[in-house]
Formats: sequence, C-alpha cells, structure tokens
Amino acid sequence: MNIASPITLAAVAVMAPLATFLIIGLIAPLRRSGKPAAWVGILGATTSTVAAALLVVDGRSDILIADWLGAGGKFFASIGFQVDGISASMLLVVSLVAWCVQVFSLGYMSDETPAGLGRYYTWHSLFLFSMNGLVMSPNALQLFLCWELVGLASYLLIGFYFRKPSAGRAAVKAFWITKLADIGLGAGLVALYVLTAKASPDGLGSFDWSPQVAQAIGTGGATVVAGLFFVAVMGKSAQFPLHIWLPDAMEGPTPVSALLHAATMVAAGVYLVVRAYPLFQAAPDVLLFMTYLGAWTAIFAAVIATVQTDIKKVLAYSTCSQLGYMVSGLGAGSLFGGYFHLFTHAGFKALLFLGAGALIHAVHSNELTDMGGLWRKMKLSGTAFILGALALAGVPGLAGFFSKDTILEALHASGQTVPWLMLLLAAGLTAFYMTRVVALALFGKPGHHTEHAHEAPASMLIPVLLLAVTAVGAGYMGGPLAKMVGAEYAFHWSMTGIIATSLGLLGIAAGWAIYGARIVTAEQLAVFAPIGNFIRASAVDRSAAWVYRNAMLGLGSGIAWFDRYVVDGVMNLTAWLAMSGGQQLRTFQSGRAGDYVYAVLVGVVLLVAAGLWNA
Amino acid sequence: MSQHLLDFTVAAPAFAALLLLFIPVRAMNVVRGVSLVGALAHLGGAIAVALNYDRAVGGVQMVSTHAVVPSMGIALTFGVDGWGVPLLLLTAVMLTTGVFASWNVQPRARDFFVLLLLLTSGVAGVFVSLDLFIFFLCYEIAVLPMYLLIAIWGTAKKVEAAGPFRFVWKMLDVGGKEYAAMKLTLMLLAGSALILAAMLALYTGAGSTSFDLRHLAMTTYAPSVQTWGFLAIWIGFGALAGVWPFHTWSPDGHAAAPTAVSMLHAGVLMKLGAFGVIRIGMILLPEGARDWVWLVGSVAMINIVYGAMSAMAQKDLKYIVAYSSVSHMGVVMLGAATLTINGWNGAVFQMVAHGLMTGLFFALVGLVYGRSHSRWVPDMGGFANKMPAVAVFFTIASLSSLGLPGLAGFVAEFLVFLGAWQSGQVIWAVAGLVGAFVTAVYVLRASKSIFWGPGPSEQFHDLTDAHGTEWVALTVLATALIVLGIWPRLGLDFIDIATSEYLPAVAQQTLEALR
Repeated sequence: MNIASPITLAAVAVMAPLATFLIIGLIAPLRRSGKPAAWVGILGATTSTVAAALLVVDGRSDILIADWLGAGGKFFASIGFQVDGISASMLLVVSLVAWCVQVFSLGYMSDETPAGLGRYYTWHSLFLFSMNGLVMSPNALQLFLCWELVGLASYLLIGFYFRKPSAGRAAVKAFWITKLADIGLGAGLVALYVLTAKASPDGLGSFDWSPQVAQAIGTGGATVVAGLFFVAVMGKSAQFPLHIWLPDAMEGPTPVSALLHAATMVAAGVYLVVRAYPLFQAAPDVLLFMTYLGAWTAIFAAVIATVQTDIKKVLAYSTCSQLGYMVSGLGAGSLFGGYFHLFTHAGFKALLFLGAGALIHAVHSNELTDMGGLWRKMKLSGTAFILGALALAGVPGLAGFFSKDTILEALHASGQTVPWLMLLLAAGLTAFYMTRVVALALFGKPGHHTEHAHEAPASMLIPVLLLAVTAVGAGYMGGPLAKMVGAEYAFHWSMTGIIATSLGLLGIAAGWAIYGARIVTAEQLAVFAPIGNFIRASAVDRSAAWVYRNAMLGLGSGIAWFDRYVVDGVMNLTAWLAMSGGQQLRTFQSGRAGDYVYAVLVGVVLLVAAGLWNA
Repeated sequence: MSQHLLDFTVAAPAFAALLLLFIPVRAMNVVRGVSLVGALAHLGGAIAVALNYDRAVGGVQMVSTHAVVPSMGIALTFGVDGWGVPLLLLTAVMLTTGVFASWNVQPRARDFFVLLLLLTSGVAGVFVSLDLFIFFLCYEIAVLPMYLLIAIWGTAKKVEAAGPFRFVWKMLDVGGKEYAAMKLTLMLLAGSALILAAMLALYTGAGSTSFDLRHLAMTTYAPSVQTWGFLAIWIGFGALAGVWPFHTWSPDGHAAAPTAVSMLHAGVLMKLGAFGVIRIGMILLPEGARDWVWLVGSVAMINIVYGAMSAMAQKDLKYIVAYSSVSHMGVVMLGAATLTINGWNGAVFQMVAHGLMTGLFFALVGLVYGRSHSRWVPDMGGFANKMPAVAVFFTIASLSSLGLPGLAGFVAEFLVFLGAWQSGQVIWAVAGLVGAFVTAVYVLRASKSIFWGPGPSEQFHDLTDAHGTEWVALTVLATALIVLGIWPRLGLDFIDIATSEYLPAVAQQTLEALR
C-alpha cells in the first residue's frame, strides 16, 4: 500500500495534534465554546491514529532529520522523525489510546464548563503532539525534549482542577519528582556527547543510541550513560523510590490518568530503554540493577495495591507494579518482553481506568465502599472492566498472560532466581487485588449511590468496548509485534507459565473467597488492619515530604538569611563604616579658630621633631 | 548606508530622549509617541543590522569610525560581530516592550522616558563598541540613570533589623528605595573603579596609542597585567553581572525599581557585566582568563545554586524573580568559564534567553502588583480565575526559567552544561542541573501560590486580566522565547561565528579540540 511515504505519515501523525493544540489554544472563541474545541481535538487524534495505522501497515523504515544545534560551524544535534517497527507500533498504541480517551472524555467531562472543556482538549492535544514526537525521536536529545514536554502536559492535566488545592499539590509534586529524576537524563545526554566527541575525529559528539555508539564508548562509558538515563526512567516510569508522584497524580481527571498515568506517558521510561537498548546492553551492571529494582517495585507496589480503598489508587499502584515487570524484563535482557508488556498493558490498563471512570461517573465517588453491586446496573462497562482485570491478572488467553509470561520466561532463562520469584509472587498478588476490586465495586453489598447508577453513555461505552477487544486480543499480536521489533516470538507452555498461572488463579480464588464469598467476616479481617494502616501510611512518601520541608526549604531559608544579613550585612557594614567614619572626622572641622591654631602648632612641633630625628 | 547603520541604531533612543526634553510634560501622548518612535527606530535599526550581517564572511562588520581624541587614540568606533547581532536585538526588544510596559508610568512620565531611552543607547553602545574608552563611556551611561529611575519611581520595602550587623539599621534605611538606588549605584561604581584601573593598564601596556579593541587584542600583556587585570575586570564587570558575593544590590535594586526599569536592568544591563568579562577580560587577557577560570566557574556554581536556594526562601514576588536572575546569570558566567565553544555559545544564548525571560517575568510582576497592590506571595491565590492570560504567560516564563525544552532557556542551559562537562569540570555541570531542579521547585511553587487554588480572596476582588498595550510586552517576549526554543539556530548561527573567531586564541586550542 503506497498512500504516502513513511516520513509524510509520521509527520502527519506528529503535527496533526500540534495543529489542533495551536488552533484550540490560540483561537479563544473556539476554546471557550467547549464541545466544538473537543471535536477539533478528536479530529487531530483521529488523524494521528489513521496515519499511525497506515504506517504500521506500510512497514517500511525511513529517517528524516534537520540540523538543530551546532558548534564551530558544524552541527551535532538534529531533530526529525525515525520510522521503524518499534516507533510505528508505539505510535499506533499512543494515538489509539489517546483517541479512545478523548472520545471517552466527551461523556466523562460533560459537566465541565465550556471554557474548562476547551482547556482540557488544548492540553490533550499538547500531550499527544509531545508523546508522538517522543516516539518518533531519531536520537536521545529529541526524546529528552519531548520527554520534558509530556511532563509539562502531565503537570497541566493533573492540575486541571486547579481550584482544588490537592490537585495543585499533586501536579507540582509530579513535576518536581520527575524533574529531579530528569537530572539523570540531562547529565546522561551530556556524558554521551562528551564520550562520543572523544571518539570522533572532528571533535563533534552525538546523541545517537546505535550499537556503533555503544561500541565506541565502551562498557565504562555505556555504564555511565545508561545508568544516568535509568535515573530518569525511575522517575518517569514510577520505579521505587521515585514512584511517589504517581498515586497523587490520580487527582487529575480519570481519562487523564488512563492516558498519561497508565497507558502511555509513564511507559515513556520503558520506551527510552527500548530505544537506547544498545547502550543498556553494553552496561551489564545497569541491567542487573534494573532487574532487581523492577522486581522489587513490582512486588512492593502490588502489596500496597491490596490495601487501597480508592479504586484509582489501586490502579495507580498496579501501574507502578506492572512498569516494574517491564523494567525487570528489560533488565533480564528481553527487549521484546518489556516492549510486549508495554503494548498489552497500554490496552488493558487504559480499559481498567476508563472502566473505573465509568463507575466513578455513575456513583460520583472514587471509594470502593461507595460502589458495590454495580454490575447489575452497568452490565456492559462492568463486563469490560472484568475483562481488563482478568487480562491484568494473567488469566490464560487474555493479553496480560502472554506478555507477563514472556518476561517471566526471560528472567528464568537469565538465571535471576530472586527477581523471578519476586515477580511470580507479584503475579499472584496482582490477581488478588484485582479480584478484590471487582468483588467490592461490581458485586457485594450495594453502595449509597448504586441505586441511581446508570450505564455509561455511548461516547464512553464505545472506547471502553474497543479497549476491551485489545485486552482480549493484543496477546495474539505477539508474533507480528516481535517481527516489527526484530525479535522472534511464539508461545509455549513452560514450567514458569504453569507456576505463574497457578499463582494467578490462586490469587483470584483467595480474592473472591475473602471479598466476594466473604468466608472471613469483617471482624476477622480487622486483625490485619494495623498492617494495612502501616502500608497506607507510605513511609517513602513521608520521608520525601520531610526531606523537602526540612532539608530543602530549611536550607533555602538558611541561605537566604545568610545572604540578607551576612553577605549583604558586610556590604551594609562597609557603608556604615564609611558613614560613621565620616561623622567622626567631621568633628575635627569644628570651626573654632583656637582649635586650628592648636592643630598647626602640633603639626609644626611634629615636623620639627621629624626633621631632627632624620638629621 | 550600512556604515552609518550602527550609528543610527545606537543614537536613535538618545536622540528621542533629547527630543523629549523639548516636549511639555503634560503632553502625555506626545511623550509616549516620541518614546515609542525612538524605540521602534532602534528596533528597526537592530533588525536591519541582523539582516545586513553577512554570516558567510563573519568577523566585525558595518564598522564606522569618528575620531574623538586623536592624540590619545580615542575614536567613536562601532562595529558588530556575531554576538552583537542578537544582543542588539535583545536590547531593542527590551526597550520596545519596556516602553509599552511603562505606558501609564506616573509621575513625571517624560523624565522617566528620557532616562530609559538614554540608558538604552548606552547599552547598545557597549554591545557594538570597538573602542575601549567608548565601551566604558557607554557602560557608565547605561548604569548611572538607574539611580534616578529607582530613587524617584521606585517602591520601598522594609527589611527587619537582624543578624550580626543589625546596628547598621540605625544609619541605613535597609530596603528603602533611596537605599536600594544608592546601594546599586555605589556597588556598580566601585566595580567601575576597578574596570577603569584595568583599562588604563591595558592602554598603557599596549603602548598608549589607541583604545581600539582590535589593536589591544593583538597585544600580549605582561603576566602581572594579565593576572591582576583579569581579576579586576572580572570583579568590576562581574558586580553588574551579579557575581557572588557582589550581587546583593540586585535583589534590593530590582525589587525597588519600577517595572520597565527592572525589565531593562535584569534583562539587558546585567548582561553588560557578563559581556564585559568575556569581551574585555577574556579576549584581551587570555592568559589571565586561563589562570582564573577555575575561580570564575566555581563562583558561578555558587551563584546558580545559592541564588536558586535564596529565591526559594523568598515570599516577596519581586525578590523571587530578582534572586532567580542572580542564579541564571551564574549560568552565563559558568558558560564563559568553560572556555569551550558550547559553553560560550550557551553563555551568550543565555544572555538573550534570560533577558527575554526575566523581562517577561518583571512585566508580569508589574501587572500583578499594579492590580493587587501586593507582592506578598502567601497572601495571593486563585488569581488564574481573574487573570487567566497573565497566568498562562507566567507559566511560560516559569517554564523557560526552569529550562523546559521548547523554550529558549533550555538551549542555553543545555549548551552551558555540555561545555562544563567538556571542560572536564563535571561538578560544574552537575551543579547547573541541580540549580535547574531547584528553579523548578521555586518557580512552580510561586506560580501555584499565586494563580492556583480557590479564590482570590476578598482583598483582591477587583483583579482584571491583561488588556490593551499590556498585551504587547507579554506576547512579544513569550513569542521570542518560544521561537528561539524551537529553532535556536536563529540566534545560535550568529553567536557561533563570533565564538569560533575569538575562542581558539583565548583557550589556545584548535577549533576541533574545542567543539
């Protein structure tokens, strides 16, 4: 099929949302009109999705770059588009989920003021432009540029309800934590440039991530660069202990959580590793660290997810946990495993969030206790949510099963027994907490608002059902996806797969037994309350808040005091000395003739004495 | 034509100032009109210079010379190099937007515009001067009107007596506008004394025949002149660039100054300091520069982190922005100290980026202060409900300040950090990155406190969004920040030419080794 060249399609996919961003953003009457602005935004997302789909079908690779920065008359940095299997498939994932979320928002955000809705779609268009630009990056520098821009979009969208103080705090916190981590990416880029410059004849470095670059800078250099890059990945992809911003980010509208903080933006860290994999492969120490940290995050976040009462918080910790799987898989040397899980996770996690959004929309609350028994009222979205939960729990045949299995296999093959066991355990916990959510929200005792709940409108239902299809079907795309990434994949049952599946089914059974069938009473469950409270208290979050308040703000106040009263104090002291010195000297000019005669006399005596002394 | 282009560009504001003296004080619209025409003539000249500059040829172009004191070799010589083009444009943009930002200045608007235009001619003169004497003369013309501008049109803020030197409060009105004006002037003049001494050493060391910079650059000075001359120039000009610990005039001065004066002072005058250190200190005294860059860079590192930390603790909006200038000027000095192409390109680019950014900041602060009559951030909140456009522009300035890609600040900081690492001083680059993070903390915190949240409270019930002429400064500056951020080559292609010409001699290395 030859509709347009790959570069044209890529440019359309990236630039269409930029155009809608500018149109909605700059034309104030359109922005303030609400719904029309929303349709313009959706048109941009549709264009991107179609272009991305054509790009995937086309299958060709190409690259177009323009010189961007130079030194001494030659250019070393460029921006442009790189089309290949990885970027084309990721582009389709991002655009499609964005499309689903933007359509879903038509219904979900219907209570918003027209001006608010216009602002919402402005930021969504900005996000889609930045994210597509990130995906198509031909080098690490452009990825960094877009990386920061998606962070901006995230900040703006988390803070969408800017009148709410908690939303403001969450937005700023998300920006700060990711920005702190981005010091790593900035430093990594600078290091990459300096190291490649040393190896080049004309003294110019580069920001490429090719195997040739990895070879040129050697293991030592690659360890520095990949290690620094990974710090930023920890921030963006919410790895322990920098995950603390993600649960707070749930302050944003639920569709935003689905798109940015579950399916696409948080996966940018994983995508960076996928793109820069040659550099990571040359740095075995970094890979080993990733394997352990990812596994630890997977199990740590899964444990926290089991005690959350807010449906979005459960899903947020679940996202941390699943990103941990991806990181761990990449660390174990499986590029495809990590990427495959990103691919399937984007579908079913977006589904879960949008499904949760439909439930929240119906009962006007995020709390699981306010839901209950919703399945009877919302059969379609309820079923879709259950499908998403099963896909996440790793039930055989659904999307999550295949990709999680690939990662677990890779860990097993690499001989990393401890992270492998951690991930297996996390798989069981995942099934447990998702079953808990389903049991509490959809079945069981009806909540306060259940009576008045209605099935979601079509604008919300269509995207949910579309994503439900991906939650079922995406796992079967493993073969074609592997081909696009340049890997081999075919599913086989193995020991690991059987253990993981058994643990998953066990988790579902346990979850249902406790929260669905209620074989233990609430009183018996209360025995575990102190543990739950301890986990919910989030020691990591509190330590970070302590460091911010005392170490950072305290140090700032100290320095500011020092500047005002010591550094500037010395300046004032100088002025004071000059002024008071002048006042003292002024008394010598008394104006009385006697004083002057006296002074002349003393002077003459001193001069004569000096003359005699010298003679 | 082109040989008088620079004369015209530099003289246009001063001529407008002269004209204003003959216009009655009450004719406000005529005063505004003449000022605006002067500013636009300056801007037009600067644009013509940029279009006229042949990048393929490079070097100093459009040279014009008028002998002033032939016996001493003083001549009014102007010429523009790759650095001069963007810096001249920056000056013109800041003046033009500054005129719009002072549209309703009170009282004695005419006198205000006279001083504003005069000092701008001085600034432009420094950027294109090829004669050290004229360079210094223009520098003083730029610095001295500040005293009156702050002392007459400024605002005061009381500072509590405290600290080990609290006894000085009996004699000094710390924080008052006369205090701020006097402090700024005295500290900068103390710097000028050092510059003057160094200037005389340069003149006599080169045979006492000419003040021409090109002549002086060909002279190899004795080691003692190199060492002590550079130190004097670094401290002398550095005081204006906000080099620690001689920066303390800046927070008080910029906080006390009226809007357009803060815009021009932080936006372009501080750049004169950094420009002087590089253009006079480093290029004329390369050995001295190489001896001292360790100190220049280390102090710049202090500027960046210490300035940002101080800004974080401020509660007065103008002090936040003023301390952020101290921090960001550290990036310029750090770039200069790296003695690499990327570092120098980044330093000059940061002069432009920070000028635009801080100009936008001060314009916004002026708007907020003019409407709310408060600069006290903890009192504010929810202003975005009443002034959404101001909130958007404030966010753009904040984002450029914290180095967000897509805005000019990022390009500058990134180049400087590249240069810092290339020069082997990894700690400099790390300090810069940490400074960028601390900047993110304080600007977003301020932005949240002012604009986000419910409200605003009853005290601020009559806030209105930007309107009329106020839009000009905001849109022009924000657009410039975005355009330079997306396509930095618009500035960098000029800057790189001059850097490539000057740096190899200063660093004593080939271009290849410096990239």
